[in-house]
Amino acid sequence: MNVTVRFLRPFARLMLPFTIHRKRRNLYSTVLQRYMSSKASSLSCHNKDSTSPPEQLELDRWKTTMKSSIQEDGVSMASDKSEDPLAATRELIEMWRLLGREVPERITEEELKTLMECASKSAQKKYLKFLYGKEIKKKAEQIKKEMKAQAREEAEKARLLETTKGEEKRDFMFLRLWDRQMNIAFGWKGVQAMQFGQPLVFDMDYENYMKPVELQNTVSQLLESEGWNRKNVDPFHIYFCNLKLDSAYHRHLVKRYSGKWDKLLLTATEKSPIDVFPKDSIIYLTADSPNVMTTFKHDKIYIIGSLVDKSVQTGISLAKAKRLNLATERLPLDKYLQWEIGNKNLTLDQMIRILLCMKNTGNWEEALKFVPRRKHTGYLEVTQHSQEDFRKLKKTKTWSFLEGSLNVRTRKR
Amino acid sequence: MTFYLPGFRSFPKLWMSTPSLELGPATSPVFFFLPVTRNQHRRFSVKATPPPNSKAMNLLLAKARTPKKGNYSNRQGSSDHYFAAGAAKKRSHLTSNPQQREHAPSHVMSTIKLPTKPLSSGEWDKLKEDFNGKASFEDWVISQMVRSSSSVDAAKSLLAWVAAKNNGIVGYNLLVKYLYLCVSHKQTSEVIDVYEIMKAKYKCLETAANTILIRGLIHSDRWREALLLLEDIKKVMVPSKRNYNDCIQGALLHQDVDVAWSLYKELVGHNLIPLLETLKAFFDFGKDINDDHYLDKLLDILLYLRNNHLYPGESFAHSIKTWFESIPGRQWEGQFTTVQRSGHCSSCGRALESIHLSPEEYEFLKGEIMRDVIVGGDQYKKTTPQELKRFQNFVNSCPPFDIVIDGLNVAKMFFKSRESQILLNVVSQLAQQNLRLLVLGRKHMLMPSSRWRKDEMEQVRKQAHCFFADNISKDDPFLLYATLNSGNHCKFITKDLMRDHKACLSDVRSQHLFFKWQQGHQMAIMNNFQRSKLTFQHTLSYDTVVQTTGDSWHIPYDEDLVQRSSCEVPTKWLCLQQKTQAPARS
Repeated sequence: MNVTVRFLRPFARLMLPFTIHRKRRNLYSTVLQRYMSSKASSLSCHNKDSTSPPEQLELDRWKTTMKSSIQEDGVSMASDKSEDPLAATRELIEMWRLLGREVPERITEEELKTLMECASKSAQKKYLKFLYGKEIKKKAEQIKKEMKAQAREEAEKARLLETTKGEEKRDFMFLRLWDRQMNIAFGWKGVQAMQFGQPLVFDMDYENYMKPVELQNTVSQLLESEGWNRKNVDPFHIYFCNLKLDSAYHRHLVKRYSGKWDKLLLTATEKSPIDVFPKDSIIYLTADSPNVMTTFKHDKIYIIGSLVDKSVQTGISLAKAKRLNLATERLPLDKYLQWEIGNKNLTLDQMIRILLCMKNTGNWEEALKFVPRRKHTGYLEVTQHSQEDFRKLKKTKTWSFLEGSLNVRTRKR
Repeated sequence: MTFYLPGFRSFPKLWMSTPSLELGPATSPVFFFLPVTRNQHRRFSVKATPPPNSKAMNLLLAKARTPKKGNYSNRQGSSDHYFAAGAAKKRSHLTSNPQQREHAPSHVMSTIKLPTKPLSSGEWDKLKEDFNGKASFEDWVISQMVRSSSSVDAAKSLLAWVAAKNNGIVGYNLLVKYLYLCVSHKQTSEVIDVYEIMKAKYKCLETAANTILIRGLIHSDRWREALLLLEDIKKVMVPSKRNYNDCIQGALLHQDVDVAWSLYKELVGHNLIPLLETLKAFFDFGKDINDDHYLDKLLDILLYLRNNHLYPGESFAHSIKTWFESIPGRQWEGQFTTVQRSGHCSSCGRALESIHLSPEEYEFLKGEIMRDVIVGGDQYKKTTPQELKRFQNFVNSCPPFDIVIDGLNVAKMFFKSRESQILLNVVSQLAQQNLRLLVLGRKHMLMPSSRWRKDEMEQVRKQAHCFFADNISKDDPFLLYATLNSGNHCKFITKDLMRDHKACLSDVRSQHLFFKWQQGHQMAIMNNFQRSKLTFQHTLSYDTVVQTTGDSWHIPYDEDLVQRSSCEVPTKWLCLQQKTQAPARS
């Protein structure tokens, strides 16, 4: 009994798609049909070939067969020609899909309207490609989910079989409430950071410079940054400055955090950072800055502009810092890394991880681990050499320093 | 939306690579001597040991790349200006490293040999067994066939095989690619057959198929159906200029001038810039027509070229010439010629239109530059309000300048010698000619260092007015404004092509104006040897644009063998004269 169930299951999964959607069923059935017929016809072709000489190839036969097939089922098709542009676009997309273009299989009315509002053909193409990618991702996730559910079911069954055999009590020290414990602990640390933590400001003043897509990316990055900060040993006290109520930013953040927004352990304010903090302790971080950040200063307030810039508008945040007359700094990327490709602008979560790491260790090599690997080919030799020399110097001079330097080395690994 | 099917996107690439193949023998010795792959090259370059006589090789390369133009280097001194067609390319050849230009890795082609003649089903089956690619076999094969433009019969046999296997059904993508093959082989009857099938089988077609069908149908008797297909496209989106081109060509082919003109009007109405082929077709067709109405419309096309700063290609220029010469009773005569430096046509001796802007245009451009380039929505991006104020006060307090120098650009010209020394050299040579100079720079130039010597900077300040912007400000906008503010006689010196500032301007008209002004006022230092006396790329005195005086036309055109970048203008001209007035002139 048990064996048969296990045996059938993979097939059941295969059968599943046939029963769900009509459209899909059509597709699969044609595939199946083709598969079957190819097996069958290849045999027949072979037989025919062996009898007839190869010169008598009927090249145009496919046309007649095509035409005859049309007469069978094509009558209803030609009758209704739609005048509605939306429907016409839908059909166009369907034809593109047949051609193997990157367009989605199904498209909703809303998406179709967005598509029609695109300014140019290339914008339309990009949007369709985006929808296509989204659809593929969704499908893959769906399949994965099904597989997982099935695996879980099987594991459950196996467990049930086992548990019927031996049911014994065991001693534990803790209940399994790890996630909640962790959240509470993070909350405590967050409260402490709100009271005594070093401020870190996200400047939200760039809404007008961003398109909706970029704004959504920014909000995602902000969420990610906040998460990284929460999990750290010594979190920053995060400020969202210039966050106007009912702006797109605010709406997106509230939507993404849903109920959590009011319970977040950070300060969101409509005020500008210069109103909140003394001007001379502020450092604006921007990749366009002429000044390089050498060390992380624990008494300064760093500002990160929360801006995703996919268009070409350089120097926005530098202009902003210039206007407010603030000190600016940039990360010493060129000093430590052999830069290869890509923008020197890093994402917000990468920035906060680098800053957190600098805050806790003060080691640039350690902190710049968070720069994406694709952007650089490796750490620069020069600094390593000089450090090595420095260490050697220490070694030869006094033995007492040896232990210290050893410590440094082990911590780094 | 695009024209080409996804399967043969690399077609244009193949086409582009042919010129370099043509140069193969000339370049190969260099690569033979320096067989350096890209990775190795990086390791080499760290040590910075350039191979011996690399300069000579550079020159050799540069020469080899313009093979059909033996007299090009001779002309360089006299008639080439900074914005001449192909000049940027030449400059880049002179400065760039030959190692950077390597042969692209030859495309690893298929594992399967494409059939050259029709195959039987058994043979196709066998071929399919050998195939191990990601895509479906039929799809892949027909894409390859399109790419190598195989014979239609071979493709037909493939379709027959697929249909036999598949209950007589051939997939849409196969049909479209087959159609493309038929169109490229000009098999009109086959195109019509496929068209019938598609029309019956599918309710609507998409843009790629429509485009190909239009191109195929215009040669047949049923060319009017191409117009219906164009209407189909219009329902969903704006047709491309190539769609219009095909339809117009079809209409002209079948002597329907009215349709052609109305399509042309529609095309321009959509703010599409017509293909030069389309315009050429009108001129080619015009040879057989004696109609004043048609003549006016062709002259309108020439004015369209003028207003949009378009330049015809070489064959188009020939068409224009032939058409003018075919007009009965007017006796036009055309000459292919060049224009002298003084701005006179070498053929007829007339002066061309001046490059200088009219006073209104000049004021307009000045305002636009101030608004879009310097202030540009946020003053702090390029400068600060305090600095802008300081600069405006400074400019207004000085008398108009004759020459404005981009100090940093000039000083960094020769990387071997000291910056301040070069700057002083340039400034003193210009000052000897009693010119009123303005040197723009940044404040860091005043900090004494090994690169900027204090005494030399002192001398520069004695001989010229100087303005030093903040280190993080942009100095180019100041350069533009100072020059514009000084008046029409003022020129500026920099090697910068100012493309980024041109891009800041909001509309096409002001960009054209800016470019025109730039051609007339920018001087670039030419000589590569610092010791000798300075020579400048001369500025243009005439405007390179299609122009007429009623009884004469001057039309600049692009040569087929010269690649012109967008910031350059053609050097060749078509000069058209009415013969009746020519004797009086000579």
